[in-house]
Amino acid sequence: MIFDTRPKVQVHIAQTNESFPCAGDESLLKGMLRLGRKGIPVGCVNGGCGVCKVKILEGTTLALGPVSRAHVTAEEQAQGYTLACRVAPTCAIKLEVAGKFEKPFSRGFVQTNQIAT
Amino acid sequence: MSVMRIGHVALKVMDMAAAVKHYEKVVGMIKTMEDKHGNVYLKCWDEWDKYSVILQPSDQAGMDHVAYKVRQDSDLDALQSKIQAYGIKAVMLAEGSLPSTGRMLQFHLPSGHEMRLYAMKEYVGTEVGTTNPDPWPDSIHGAGAHWLDHVLLMCELNPETGTNHVADNTKFMSEVLDFYLVEQVVVGPNGAIQAATWMTRTNTPHDIAFVGGQRAGFHHASFFLDSWHDVLKAADVMAKSKTKIDVAPTRHGITRGETIYFFDPSGNRNETFSGLGYLAQPDRPVTTWTEDKLWTGIFYHTGDAVPSFTEVYT
Repeated sequence: MIFDTRPKVQVHIAQTNESFPCAGDESLLKGMLRLGRKGIPVGCVNGGCGVCKVKILEGTTLALGPVSRAHVTAEEQAQGYTLACRVAPTCAIKLEVAGKFEKPFSRGFVQTNQIAT
Repeated sequence: MSVMRIGHVALKVMDMAAAVKHYEKVVGMIKTMEDKHGNVYLKCWDEWDKYSVILQPSDQAGMDHVAYKVRQDSDLDALQSKIQAYGIKAVMLAEGSLPSTGRMLQFHLPSGHEMRLYAMKEYVGTEVGTTNPDPWPDSIHGAGAHWLDHVLLMCELNPETGTNHVADNTKFMSEVLDFYLVEQVVVGPNGAIQAATWMTRTNTPHDIAFVGGQRAGFHHASFFLDSWHDVLKAADVMAKSKTKIDVAPTRHGITRGETIYFFDPSGNRNETFSGLGYLAQPDRPVTTWTEDKLWTGIFYHTGDAVPSFTEVYT
């Protein structure tokens, strides 16, 4: 990364066993996006839609902005859940992807169709 | 007894200062009022009523309600009876429930979204006035949106349980509020499932749209621009302000609109679009998009599925 000399920490995604470097002044999601990698679902990137929900398993993060209570309850927050677009790493992170992309509506119908026939 | 057009959308935002800055500097609106609850009211330069967007402080994103303006006050009584007769509870909120606004008829669509109808909102005039007006004001800024044009609401659709709130809403809007169907997406065996609809009361291709999804929610509020070049400039404004663009300038097959999708600082999706597409009329034949071509309908140039379109919303 010759064009980005900022110090980085590693962010490890438990389910896919992938890692990506992330700077301390960017969100976990931004770090992943900067490399064009896939792993965590990407949505509004502003804390509102909830698709990038993760559970921090190891490491600490810094809040970058509000997270919608519709997607992360106070109880979940206490358990380590947050939205990857709204936290920056303060050290190496291990996380689990919790948000799931909902099934595209067309795919759902194709499957229904196949079952019917 | 008729609905004229969209009047306003009330959006929940998690950071008011950031939200106001976005709707002013990026969309190009003007803040007209703030109430004692901290709600902020804004309008576009080409709109003449006091506001078309209400920003409400909240711990989550999403839409609080969408409102449409009816022709006259007595329409509200007639529509209340009509909505109740359809089997939906409709409550009349007193004048002043929202500042600068007359009484409002409040009810929920079959999908659960709150809708309101009103006849009176304080007139403040457009930025160019009514006498020998210039085509645009010197105060124009940001994307310079002309007006709030429509909203798209995500409605629960589950073929396995037989739930189809897209079809339920479409039937209600058509039979009770006299909206007419302009375009639709049909899917499933023999296209039996109405998965998305675009409806209007004016003569633009849509004043409201419904798309099927896993849960009810808010997909986007759309703001009108004059031309494709204005859409390009709006994208420049978004790049300059580091606004998160969801879908860069392209064209919808459905409605023929030239579009950009982007997010406000709370993740509520906005659209700036241009092109009136065609003259929508009650007797214009309904345009239908089939399951195999639905992504061509949504993003015409690539025809590619963009998962965020159906899966990312507040």
